[in-house]
Amino acid sequence: MEESQTSICRIELPTSNEVDVVRRRFRGSAGPRVALVAGIRGDTPEGVRVLYEVSRLLRHVAELRGTVDLFPCANPLAAHAGLHRWPFFDVDLNRRFPGRPDGHPPDRVAHALVQRVQGADLVCELRGAYRAFRVMPQAHVRSGDERARELASQANVEVVWERHPSTMAPTTFAAQLDNAIVLEGGAGNRITEGLGDELAAGVMNVLAALGVVDEQEVPVHWAAIQRARVVTDDQVLTVRADHGGIFLPQIVVGADLAVGEPIGRVVDPIAAREIALVVAPVAGRVLAIREQPPVYPGSLVARVIT
Amino acid sequence: MIQEIYSIEVPFRGVYRLQRLRFGRGRPHLAVVAGLHGNELNGIYALNLLAGSLAAQAPAGTVDLIPLANAFGIEEGRKHGPFDDQDLNRAFPGNPSGTAIQRVAYALSQATQADCCLDVHSGSWLVDELAQVRPPLDGAEVDLARAMGLPLVWRRSPRPGDESQLVDAWRQAGCRAFRVTGGRGATFDKEVGLAIANGVRRLMARLGMGTAPPGGRVEADITGEQMQVLRSSTGGFFVPEVAVGDAVHPGHLLGRVVAPVGGATLGELRAERAGLVATLRRYPMVHAQELLLRVASPQPE
Repeated sequence: MEESQTSICRIELPTSNEVDVVRRRFRGSAGPRVALVAGIRGDTPEGVRVLYEVSRLLRHVAELRGTVDLFPCANPLAAHAGLHRWPFFDVDLNRRFPGRPDGHPPDRVAHALVQRVQGADLVCELRGAYRAFRVMPQAHVRSGDERARELASQANVEVVWERHPSTMAPTTFAAQLDNAIVLEGGAGNRITEGLGDELAAGVMNVLAALGVVDEQEVPVHWAAIQRARVVTDDQVLTVRADHGGIFLPQIVVGADLAVGEPIGRVVDPIAAREIALVVAPVAGRVLAIREQPPVYPGSLVARVIT
Repeated sequence: MIQEIYSIEVPFRGVYRLQRLRFGRGRPHLAVVAGLHGNELNGIYALNLLAGSLAAQAPAGTVDLIPLANAFGIEEGRKHGPFDDQDLNRAFPGNPSGTAIQRVAYALSQATQADCCLDVHSGSWLVDELAQVRPPLDGAEVDLARAMGLPLVWRRSPRPGDESQLVDAWRQAGCRAFRVTGGRGATFDKEVGLAIANGVRRLMARLGMGTAPPGGRVEADITGEQMQVLRSSTGGFFVPEVAVGDAVHPGHLLGRVVAPVGGATLGELRAERAGLVATLRRYPMVHAQELLLRVASPQPE
């Protein structure tokens, strides 16, 4: 097995400094090519951490049948500052795909990334939760993509969410590819104890399912791998605040709720009064919960799967 | 000659490097720093003009130039850098075993110990400043500051917070040090850059390090009591009626604050005394009591 590191895009800064977006390649014998991408946003370090674990595991596999390309951090300048957006340009890299070869640095990175992963047998994006939220470990696939759904089900997550393309922004990284899985978990801009190991085991299990590594390379026993439940858009309910205030959650992700059970309260901290109680509109499990308190009328406070 | 004077490992992108341009040798020794605030950019141009002239003719003595003190903040177009979003110019004298920004501050102050030290800024991104030098109220720096021939010499008494700034760290170390500023943050003013570069060359001439370029004149030489400070009486949209450097007379209309919806005049700003417009608000949306103008008036009321 060969391990190599190359720059897929060099960002030349006005200070004459240069920053590389790196691809780490593990190449074994003939077999599928898998691309793993993290750090498209700078405030989702959980994905970066997962790819660190996956790299360490791959370095010690007895046999690699195929190629695994890891892009450990697509947006190093945002990650360096812990920011959602690419600094200076103040753009969300995950709204710049497919990019362009002659654009500003975010567009060029987006273009280089798409070019480098195209043709892969599987592309997997890894990330932490969207800022302000904590989420259950989950996979997103495009509805109708049976192979991606099948592989995502083996990614050691509790939920595989089949998303209709109309519910996804067309300029995200994952939307550019036919065979993409997004693995997400934890909290925005935080590392959650144990989660990185769980998702790394999930990635290794997917590689085993593709035949790229042997089953014994998966760091958890097959019986301990989570059995994913597949849900569609209409099974994922969005719970919103009806009033502005601060949201105080009363539950944790993964909790099972009955209809009408409290999710949290919206309170006015200045007047020191409770404004509204937010309750579960259906019975179900909490997929995501808001952890950043300020809310406006219409702010998403939770997702519940039925 | 470009010298790397300090580096620090940073996540995701390798190494932060602090670079110094050194010209000549021996004493006197002058150090000039720019770019402590990452969105104040006129000093970069000024220092590189100086580098060009010093490369052509070496100084009698040593000149150290650091044009990009806060390279990461400059890359992000922000005043602060990414080191925990701290202000580098509030981290002095620094600490070699402190936080990242304190380490950078320590390295920077250590690498610029000299007989005379200048810290070059621009105005904030909100305001335009007349090219000026800010020595203390008295002492050897005043004469050196005047020698620069910049339009404004503003002698300032110490303020709370000064002790965490580079200029104060230099003074504590026994250097003669002061701040030079001009223009506006987040923009480039070529004339200001040229004025500052020529001012430094006149200072070098005063120190016996070279020959002075022609021109240069102090238009106003004042203390804080001689500076009229005009603030907005209300929130609104500020419409200036003068430019930085304009001479104004008592009662001169300096600007108006108007309603952003409808344009009705909410307040007028007029000069109390004759003087020179030293600071002008350029970002038009203003809150009540924000600084809109400073007028340097050498003759107090």
